[in-house]
Amino acid sequence: MTKAEKKPVLLPKLPDVCVRCATCMAACPVSRVTPRFPGPKQAGPGAQRFRSASEASVDDWIELCTGCHLCDTVCPAGVPISEMNMMAKAKYLDERGRTFRDWLLVRSDLFGELAARFSKIINPLMKNGILRRLLDALLKIDRRRDLPGYEYPTFRRWFRTRSTAEGATGRRKVAYFYGCFTNTNETDVGKAAVEVLEAHGLEVVVPPQRCCGIPRLGVGDLKGAREMGRRNIEMLLPTVREGIDIVFSSTSCGLMLRHEYSRILHLPGAEELAGSLFDICEFLLRLREEEKASPIFQPLSLKAAYFAPCHLRSLNIGFPALDLLRMIPGLDVRMLEADCCGLGGLYGFKTEKFSIAEEIGKDLTEAAARMNPDIILTDCEGCRMQVRHLTGLRVIHPLQLLRDALNPS
Amino acid sequence: MDLKTEVLIIGGGATGAGIARDLALRGIPSLLVERGDFTSGASGRNQGLLHSGARYAVNDPEAARECIGENRILRRIAPHCIEPTEGLFVSLPEDGPEYRANFIRACAAAGIDALPLSPRETLAMEPRLNPRLIGAVQVPDGAIDPFMLVVENVRDAESRGARFLIHTEVTGLIRDGLRITGARVRDRIADKSYAIAANWVVNATGAWANLILGMAGIRIGLALSKGSMLLTNTRLSERVLNRCRPPSSGDIIVPNDTVSILGTTSLREDDLEHYEVTAEEVTFLIDELSKMIPDVKNERFNRAYAGVRPLLQSQEASDDREISRGFALIDHGSGSGSAGLVTITGGKLMTYRLMAEKTADFLCERMGLHVPCITHLQPLPGAGLGNTLRDRLLHLRRQTPAARGEILCDCELVPREAVDAILREGKVRELQDILHRTRLAKGTCQGGFCVYRLLGLLNELHGEQGSDGSNVVLRSFLEERWKGIRPILWGTALKEEELIESIYKGLFNLVPEEPGRTGGGAT
Repeated sequence: MTKAEKKPVLLPKLPDVCVRCATCMAACPVSRVTPRFPGPKQAGPGAQRFRSASEASVDDWIELCTGCHLCDTVCPAGVPISEMNMMAKAKYLDERGRTFRDWLLVRSDLFGELAARFSKIINPLMKNGILRRLLDALLKIDRRRDLPGYEYPTFRRWFRTRSTAEGATGRRKVAYFYGCFTNTNETDVGKAAVEVLEAHGLEVVVPPQRCCGIPRLGVGDLKGAREMGRRNIEMLLPTVREGIDIVFSSTSCGLMLRHEYSRILHLPGAEELAGSLFDICEFLLRLREEEKASPIFQPLSLKAAYFAPCHLRSLNIGFPALDLLRMIPGLDVRMLEADCCGLGGLYGFKTEKFSIAEEIGKDLTEAAARMNPDIILTDCEGCRMQVRHLTGLRVIHPLQLLRDALNPS
Repeated sequence: MDLKTEVLIIGGGATGAGIARDLALRGIPSLLVERGDFTSGASGRNQGLLHSGARYAVNDPEAARECIGENRILRRIAPHCIEPTEGLFVSLPEDGPEYRANFIRACAAAGIDALPLSPRETLAMEPRLNPRLIGAVQVPDGAIDPFMLVVENVRDAESRGARFLIHTEVTGLIRDGLRITGARVRDRIADKSYAIAANWVVNATGAWANLILGMAGIRIGLALSKGSMLLTNTRLSERVLNRCRPPSSGDIIVPNDTVSILGTTSLREDDLEHYEVTAEEVTFLIDELSKMIPDVKNERFNRAYAGVRPLLQSQEASDDREISRGFALIDHGSGSGSAGLVTITGGKLMTYRLMAEKTADFLCERMGLHVPCITHLQPLPGAGLGNTLRDRLLHLRRQTPAARGEILCDCELVPREAVDAILREGKVRELQDILHRTRLAKGTCQGGFCVYRLLGLLNELHGEQGSDGSNVVLRSFLEERWKGIRPILWGTALKEEELIESIYKGLFNLVPEEPGRTGGGAT
C-alpha cells in the first residue's frame, strides 16, 4: 500500500468559471449508467465548492470517474473538469489509502518484461479459472474480464535485434514512444508503426523510455505519476533537442505525455517535450499533406469501423487515423458512433466497477451490431480490449491495417 | 371575533419566534402573525454571524458582555444552527498596533477569550489573508443559520401549543378605551380578513415597529439603517474575519456553509419596502474587503442583498454605528394610553433570546405569574442534527442509490425528499417558504437551473391559482431573484445569467408581466 501523501493538495479555484449549463452531464458516460456518480458538473465544479484542502474528503463517488475527459472536451466555459476530479480523487485516495490491487496494477510496467519472458507459463495461468476466481476474491480483479496475454520477444527486443530496412539509415529520423502495452502485450502494433514510418521514408529510433505513468494518475497517485513523468522527460528531451520529433501510437500514453505532464503534473520540461510530440497518424497525415512522403496504399476490400478513443478526442487533433484509412482504396471505413467504450483503462478490470464499464459499453455493442463490420480499428489498447470483449470481432490498431495496405503480401 | 389568544405576537423574526417559544415554555398561550414567511425581515437579511461580542468590546462593553453570554447559550441550545468557526480580528499595517492593544484589553474586561496571533500563525490558519498583516486576535466568533434558528424556535413553540400564522398581516389594532385588545388581520394568500382578540399584543416587527404603532397613533424614535452584503460563490476562509479597527463599513467576512458573506455598509433608509444594493456599495465592499483578502477582487459573487437594522434613537448622532445596538422594551400603557401593547425592538440577532426573555418576564410580571425563563437551558428540538453541505453529502452517501432519488438542487445538493417532507408537513404556503427551509436556490445558479424542477411539486400548493399558477410562481421567484443578482452581474455570473435568461424566455416562453394584464396577476 502506498503511503498517503501528507501534503495537502492545493485545489485550483475553478468552480467560479462553470456556468452550470450541464452540457457535460449529457456527455458523461458514467453518470449515464449509474446514479452513484452524480455527473461531472456536480462532482467537479459543484463539489469543489465544499472541498477544503484542510478537511477530509467526503465525496467517495469521485472514484467512479474514469478519467475519459469527455466532460472537458464539451465544456463551453473551458472548465478543466476532469482535472478537478483528478485532484479530488488524488486527495481522497491519499487519505483513504490505496488497495494492494491498485498498487500492483499500476506497476505492470515493472513486471511486464519478466511476464513477457515467461509468457508461455503466465498466459495460460491468466486464463485459469481457479486463479481468476482467486484474483477476483482476493484482489477484486473481475474474472469476467480477459487479461491481456504477454508476448515474447518484446517490441523493444525485436527492434534491437532486427536488421534495419535497406537504405533506412541517413534518412530523416523520427523517435517512437511505443508504450508498455505495445512492448509486452501487442508487439505487432509497434512493428506496424515502425514499418509504416519506414514506408514513409523515415528512420525510426527508439529512445530510452518508461511507462508514461497514466495508470498511476488513474488511481490518483500524483507523486508516482510525477516521478514517471520526470524520468521520461529526462530521457526524451535529448532526442527533442536533437531536432527529432517523437510519435506515439497509444493515444492514452500520448495524452499523458503531451497534456497531463504539464497541465496536471506541472513538470519542468513538459512543454518543451510536448512541442515535438505527435500522434503517429497525425504525424503521417502531415507528412502526406506536406507531400514529403506519399507511398501508395494498395486496395483492401474490407468493411471496417473506426472507433475514436476518448483520449484521442481529448488531444484535439481530429481523427487523423480515420483520414489516413480513407486513403486506402476499396476500404469501406466508417465511424463507429459510440461515445466511450467504458473500459477506462484499469477501471474496467476492477470488480466493483465491472458492471459500470459493461453498461457504458452497451451503446458501442449496439452500434457495432448495426454496422456489422469485418473489422474494428481503434488507436487505444484499452479500447481494443474492451471492443473485442464487447463484440467478439477482430479489433486492431489502424496502423496494422495501414501496414497491410502498404505491403500487400 | 374569530380568534382569541392570551398574547398576540406581531412579527415572525427571531425576536417574535423567540418570544413565542419562551412563553410556550412558561405555559402561556400565544399566537404569532407574520406578514410574509418567517425571517422575512432583518432576521433573514444579516451576515449570519454568531458574535463573540469582540466587535463591541472597545466601544460598548455592555453589548459585548451581552453578546458573549448569548454566544455561550446559543452554542448550548442550538448547536445544529451554528458552525463554530472561531473568528480573527486582523490588523493591517494601516490599522496600527494601538487599537489591537486596546482590543485585547477590552476583550479581557468583557470576559471574551482573545488569543493574540503572530502574522505567521495567522497566515498559516488563513492563507488567503493579506500577507502584509501585522497580527491577528482569535475570538470565539462563529457562523449561525438564522433561518434554521427561527424555524427551530417555531417548531419547539408549536409543539408546546403556540400558534403561528404566516402570510397574515396586521391591518389595524383593536382598541377598547385605553387598552389595545387585539388586531385585525388579513390572510394575504386567501385574501380573508378577520380579528384576533388578545389580552396582550407584542409588537416584534423590528424595523417595521412604527408601522404597527402608527395604528395606535404612537411613534418611537427609530433610525433605519440599510446594511448591504455580498455573497461569494465559494468559501473564502475557514474563520470569521474582522478588521481590527474601530467598527466601520466593509470590515467583515463571515463564512457560511459553502459561501462567504462580505459585509457591510450602513446607510440611512426611509423606504422599508423598496431598497436595493447600489453599485457604489458593491464597489465599496469589494475594494474595502480586498484589503483583508486580496483575492476578493477576482472573486465570483452569487448575490447581493441588504437588510434594514432598527436602531433605537436615544440621542442625535451623525453616524448610525454610534447609536446603541441595545434593545428596548417599551410599554405603551403608561404614557401613550395603549395598555396591553408592548414593543420590543432594536437589538440584534445575537440577543434575540435575551429580548424574548425580557419580554416574557415583563408579561409574566403584569400577569402576576412567577414562572422563570428556561430558554437558556432547554436545547432546541433539532439539536444534534447537522445540516451543512458536508452533512447533506454524507447523508446522500449513506443512502443506497435506489433510495437516493432525484436531486433537485445540484449546487447545494437538496434532494427531492427534503422538499417532499416540507410539503407533507403542510406548513408552507409559497415557493419562498420552501426556499427558506432548505438550501434550495442558495448556490451558484441561485435557483436558475432548479426552481423549474420544483414547479411540478408545487402544483398542489398553488392549485387554487388555476392553470397559470406555475407561471405566477415562477415569475415572482425570478423577479425576487433578479433583485439579488443584478448588482453582481459581470464575468462568469453574467454569462451564466444570459444562459438562464435564454432558458426561461426561449424555452419556457416566459414573458415579462404586462401591465394591466388580468388573470394570474402578481400577488
